[in-house]
Amino acid sequence: MDEKFDCIIVGAGVAGLGAAMTLARNNMKFLLIEKGEFPGAKNVSGGVLWGNDLAKLVPNYWEEDGGWDRFINHRRLTFMDEQSTFSVDFKSSHFNEPPYTGVVVLRSKFDRWLADKVQEAIDASDYAMDSFIAPNILVEEILLEDDKAVGIKAGGDEFYSDSVILAEGVNNLLTRQVGLQDKYVPADHMLTGVKEIIRYDQKVLEDRFQLNGKSGMSNEFVGYATNGVEGGGFLYTNKDTISIGLVLGLKDLREKEQKPHDILNEFKKHPVIADTIRGGEVVEYSAHIVSSGDKRVMPKQLYKAGLVVCGEAANLLLNAGKAIQGMDYAMRSGILAAETITEAKKAGDFGESAMKKYQDTLENSYIMKDINNFQDAVHLLHDPVMTQKMPNLICDFGRNFFSIKNEPTPKSREMLKGAIKRHASYWELIKLGAKGAKAL
Amino acid sequence: MKLLSLPERLGLISYRNQAKSDIKPHILVNTDICNSTCPHKCTTYVCPANCYTKDENGKVHFQVEDCIECGTCMYACDQGAVSWEFPDPEIGRGVTWNYG
Repeated sequence: MDEKFDCIIVGAGVAGLGAAMTLARNNMKFLLIEKGEFPGAKNVSGGVLWGNDLAKLVPNYWEEDGGWDRFINHRRLTFMDEQSTFSVDFKSSHFNEPPYTGVVVLRSKFDRWLADKVQEAIDASDYAMDSFIAPNILVEEILLEDDKAVGIKAGGDEFYSDSVILAEGVNNLLTRQVGLQDKYVPADHMLTGVKEIIRYDQKVLEDRFQLNGKSGMSNEFVGYATNGVEGGGFLYTNKDTISIGLVLGLKDLREKEQKPHDILNEFKKHPVIADTIRGGEVVEYSAHIVSSGDKRVMPKQLYKAGLVVCGEAANLLLNAGKAIQGMDYAMRSGILAAETITEAKKAGDFGESAMKKYQDTLENSYIMKDINNFQDAVHLLHDPVMTQKMPNLICDFGRNFFSIKNEPTPKSREMLKGAIKRHASYWELIKLGAKGAKAL
Repeated sequence: MKLLSLPERLGLISYRNQAKSDIKPHILVNTDICNSTCPHKCTTYVCPANCYTKDENGKVHFQVEDCIECGTCMYACDQGAVSWEFPDPEIGRGVTWNYG
């Protein structure tokens, strides 16, 4: 290839594909490189893609029977002690009509499907013969000239471009190479996710989880699920499988000397979970690092001359207690990155100040607004009072509240007092309440 | 339902270049550090694929064959013993997820 590209995108995950779709539609000449055998081959997620940006990339995607697995109309947050679960459960037909506000995806299928849609957009663009999706290639290095990104090196070959979009995921080696992230990132604000895919007869799955057609459920867990390690659990319904797993604070895992795969088995052994998942067949075990959404470890600057960083490579992720958002941030940041590159092309300027516009639009988008606004919630969710004592307290109260004993029943307030006394102190709860009020 | 052991779980994974006997490791571990100054040897328990093991003398050993490219060891090792790259698609190991 003698000519240079307008842009080279590293990584064909949700962020890279969002960027590629936008570039193709804007008639840009680009190269999208993926290290896996196909887009999605190396991606692991929970995972729910929240929000509705997908409809911007693939209008009426819901009319197709491809890519996504189920839409979410049933949400559940579960507190767990050793024997019990106490859930906040919300289901509504309000969520039944497209555009959906969340779809469950399995990345090996979803990303490949989305890449096919990007290819269609390339075929319809002026650069049908000059833009490429190239899987099975590992980018070794970002080429820099006078500290400006000018291309990439892969398999010993060099490819040149006016700009580079780094969408390489959380293990962001190239972001580190260009100096936007420290060479060593400590475990402090990283989590290890472990997950199993369990398959059922589709009808069994639908009956067990009260699914109708393509509806689905998402369930998050706090408490006993993680065996004393900070973090939480999740269960999502796919078409004929469930995704069940944990995200575990890596620093805490190291200090408590625990094995993630053992904790996952303990979680599956919990009586309530064991009832829920019985009879299935495990068809995949996977694991991946995920960032915590704590701003303290995010790369401060997401651009340099000729280059922008998006998705989890930029640590764009948030779990503020009601949903784990990462893929929607990836998609939106990819779109914003591509829009910045398109404008830069028009102006003929890919310099640092032109690239800074990406971070400015990101700061003004819901992504950074939410990440900034909900930092207290992120800290709260990593507070041991919240992750351990609260679930025990809530389940203890639940057990008393729902026990009918043919003897005089104490008032609920007395039960709550007892539960608090057994698991925490009022002072801890007051502190937690104050934190919670500030966080939400 | 029956709980799977880690080897059973790893047996479900599609690894790349399985037919090749001589693969290029994408992670290099300086086990001299693990076995001299490291106070925790944490990779032997935090690695979700058990690529790091302790022998009967407590010495740390590493094998890359079972690695699922999660990245855990790169962050967990705070002793500078782990140098981590992505596997080469042609001559490296690593995974292709069927579900992801």
